[in-house]
Amino acid sequence: MKSPSSLVCDGTPVNGLMPVDTVADMIRAGARLSLAGRKAALDALPHGDWIGGTSPYFMTESGGRVISDKEVFVTDLAAIGDVSIGTYSAHELACISGEAPDQGFALAVIPAGSHCHTEFAQNAAAYPMAFMRPTIGWIAGYDLAEPGAQAFVYDGRAGKALSDAVAVAHVTFTDDTDALLEIVNIFGPDGGDVIHFEEAGFTPEWCQVNGQRKRFCDYVVERGREGGDLPLVGDFGGAKVNASLKSIDTAKGLVELYAPVFPGVDYAFAGPVGDYAQAFRRALATRATDDALWSCNCILNFLFGKLEGVAIGGAAGPVTFGEIAYQLLNQTMVLVRKA
Amino acid sequence: MSLPASNSPVWGRLASGGLSRIQTSHLGTQMLIKRLELSKDPPATKATEIYSYFQKWERSLANEVAQLARL
Repeated sequence: MKSPSSLVCDGTPVNGLMPVDTVADMIRAGARLSLAGRKAALDALPHGDWIGGTSPYFMTESGGRVISDKEVFVTDLAAIGDVSIGTYSAHELACISGEAPDQGFALAVIPAGSHCHTEFAQNAAAYPMAFMRPTIGWIAGYDLAEPGAQAFVYDGRAGKALSDAVAVAHVTFTDDTDALLEIVNIFGPDGGDVIHFEEAGFTPEWCQVNGQRKRFCDYVVERGREGGDLPLVGDFGGAKVNASLKSIDTAKGLVELYAPVFPGVDYAFAGPVGDYAQAFRRALATRATDDALWSCNCILNFLFGKLEGVAIGGAAGPVTFGEIAYQLLNQTMVLVRKA
Repeated sequence: MSLPASNSPVWGRLASGGLSRIQTSHLGTQMLIKRLELSKDPPATKATEIYSYFQKWERSLANEVAQLARL
């Protein structure tokens, strides 16, 4: 990766890790930024035109990294377009796309486990302007090695950590282009059972497997999928949208997912992926990513794929507790570029 | 191929099931197809939404627009 100073000076848009002090200088100079890092690092930054979210995990050009509180991941939004910043509460989430520009996108950061996270996950596709004014973004997380840690997002104008709000940067393109959202999902249906759910939600109790009603927990055990490394893959008009397993309590018969499932969607368990990094490299080889403006990838890919220190290609970005491309996704890389 | 006018019957056909026959790799279009498939909105409302969507994204949906005439 280039040094921070060369990134600033040679005209290349900033999208990478930088020292906290350098980021503070950029904010004081009036930069408009999207930031990600540990809470201690984000708390130390001055007020200004930035949004942020907590995560210590990142994919960089040289591989996955777990960073300290001395660094912050920076995306220079002003290099992409005109920027306006806002925050939204759980009952205002439809306004994220509603107030987004006609040409550009909304970049949203939501704290994991918050009411906003649940509301967005269940309703995003139904927001009136959801497909006219696209939303990308990520679910902020925390260091899984820190007991009791919590996710936060930031509106840099107030410099305050928010545990249940959505920090949003509306980015307006100034060159008559449109935002093109893309996903890289290395998982696909295993070609076996087709699963349907009766109700929308994160904790489905019942499902239909090839038309036969079963307790979902029993089915997960029957398939030997308690490990949680392989998600459910939903067919959304041909797009593969994952819902990953968060936990299973066989004694209580409960399965919790990282994203909701929906009735009327064909689901299947994903087939196994041996080498995550190779699967990403193969998928990314078929598309242009040099012009990606922003990207994120999932913590479950980072962990199950053992991506720390491993380069996979594509654009650098935060490793997240959920990804957003119009709606909440799991175990997926998200990219946005101009078209 | 140019986009059919807003009063073209193609939009009604798309709203009544034709949309699911479009071959597309455009993520937003794929997700909209599923959203409308699950929606209880009347076909006329769906047709208006589909037209507005194609009008907005026409530049990115050349392959999809080319399919409209045969749906």
